[in-house]
Amino acid sequence: MVYTRKSPAVLIIGLVLLAYWFAVNGGYLDETLKYLNTTRAKPEMIQLSLIFGIVSVAAGLWYLFGPHEEGELDYYASTIAGGMFILALAMIVRWYLDPGVAKLSREIGPVLPGKRFIHDMFGLNYIVLGIVAGMIIVNVLKIPDWAQNGVRLSRLGLKTGVILLGTLYSLGELVQLGKLSVVLIGFFVLGSVGLVLWIGARRHIPNSMAGVLSAGIGVCGVSAAVASAPVVQAKSEEIAYTIGTVLVFGVVCMFLFPVIGHLTGMGHVQFGAWAGTGILNSAQVAGAALAFQPDGIETLKVAEIFNITRVLFLPIIVLWLAVWYVRREESVGRTVQQVDTTRVIFEKFPLFVLGFILMFALSSTGIFAPAQHTSGRYFDNSKSKLLVEKDINTLKAESSKLKRDDQKQALNRLLESKKAMSIDHDTTLRGIVNSGVLSRDANAVLTRAHNAAYQTSKKIAAFRDWLTWLFAFGLTGLGMQITMAAMRQAGGQPLVIGGAVGTVKAVFSLIVVLMFVRETI
Amino acid sequence: MTDPKSQNIDVHATETGFKYHRGSALSIFKSDRHEDIMALIFAATIAFGVYFFIN
Repeated sequence: MVYTRKSPAVLIIGLVLLAYWFAVNGGYLDETLKYLNTTRAKPEMIQLSLIFGIVSVAAGLWYLFGPHEEGELDYYASTIAGGMFILALAMIVRWYLDPGVAKLSREIGPVLPGKRFIHDMFGLNYIVLGIVAGMIIVNVLKIPDWAQNGVRLSRLGLKTGVILLGTLYSLGELVQLGKLSVVLIGFFVLGSVGLVLWIGARRHIPNSMAGVLSAGIGVCGVSAAVASAPVVQAKSEEIAYTIGTVLVFGVVCMFLFPVIGHLTGMGHVQFGAWAGTGILNSAQVAGAALAFQPDGIETLKVAEIFNITRVLFLPIIVLWLAVWYVRREESVGRTVQQVDTTRVIFEKFPLFVLGFILMFALSSTGIFAPAQHTSGRYFDNSKSKLLVEKDINTLKAESSKLKRDDQKQALNRLLESKKAMSIDHDTTLRGIVNSGVLSRDANAVLTRAHNAAYQTSKKIAAFRDWLTWLFAFGLTGLGMQITMAAMRQAGGQPLVIGGAVGTVKAVFSLIVVLMFVRETI
Repeated sequence: MTDPKSQNIDVHATETGFKYHRGSALSIFKSDRHEDIMALIFAATIAFGVYFFIN
């Protein structure tokens, strides 16, 4: 089969992108960008529209005039069209729809105390809007034929994003989050797998169905269902039921979790821990985390650690299900075909999780930013701007307000050296600011000294930009794969059992997170 | 989903009227392992690009 369609669509996308590059670069859209408050994104608009405009024009010309024969080149080259389709949609959503909705929402005014607007409350940002736009396109308008093949690139974008996320963690963060996630995930994964198996037995669904459903609900959605299928000898429709259930439940969670998170006043760590524990599918965890915090990736970082910890439980669950299935079947006198469980684990374990760990190990060597960095910021006072005479006088005038010896010493050291001298020194100075003892002006001087001592890694900032677009691309494409027919596949007992256990897990994990997870790590 | 006894799934195959002969409904690659390897290659390429070109 020849996959390439002789359609001018990709060429048109390319020409539109180049025209957009010309308009933004020439300043013709400055008023519009100012109105939408997106002037800050101008360099990104210029760069991306030029690069992908050229790629689209080249691909579009190839599609129209190239000789197309069945084979590898035709198959893989044809996916560029779908990739460009998703990317163009993601650009429209991120640069126009998202700021447009935010502007409209602000004009309507706050709907909740604390200046909470409609778009804040419902998390209407580029991630949610991209997923919804994708869902509308696939279910209402239909994906055009020329884009069909490439739309399936979205999961590749998400996996690449998760691997690159490994570059953003510092060892300290990972150790702290890792401990927390192993405890929480261990409890909820094992608990929900056990609960599905127990309810499945009571409702007399086939063991293979209960087994594959328990892995899907307990571990990590689609990957776990596929990985556990051979050991419980699940049939294709049972895998499809599980995937349908995970999908339906995940879509609801993806939209509902951020709203609940905002309403309960959860912080980044708490929400990340909850989403990573309570939502079933990796892509939907990322979607919910970015919907909760679209202007940063702190929540995503926490959520992905929980998500990856959950995937690391996969071998244990596959082994458990293998033993459970053989016992259940033999107890009713059926013979079971032996499956090589070790081989199944080796073959089905998601390699991208190891990629994340490898990327973290690489980053820990300090090649992208000093190893002690947090979210790309690291202590380096060699380039610090020294405090000026006026700042010093402000601090001297208020030094008598301090009661604690360590804070007095830290302030004196700052007055002598005119800059923060170490991480500990800076931490004590931050403590003074947080205690609220000094005046606003004095606190502003201390904050300036803090900012001057911390540098932002340009490499880490570049990784953040890549991640933003990889996840925007992946999640907009994910929306295009949420079809009504796929959701209907859930139906019946699997949806009832999966939905019930998923809800129990989400509610209990919310309670546990609110009670026991502190916002600082 | 052509053979109900098979574990090969293609949940969207007939629904959109577009039939894939390779990969699955969610991926252009013939297996998750292939997709993971491609993601690793892309991630490594981006990481080395950032390492060498951003300063």
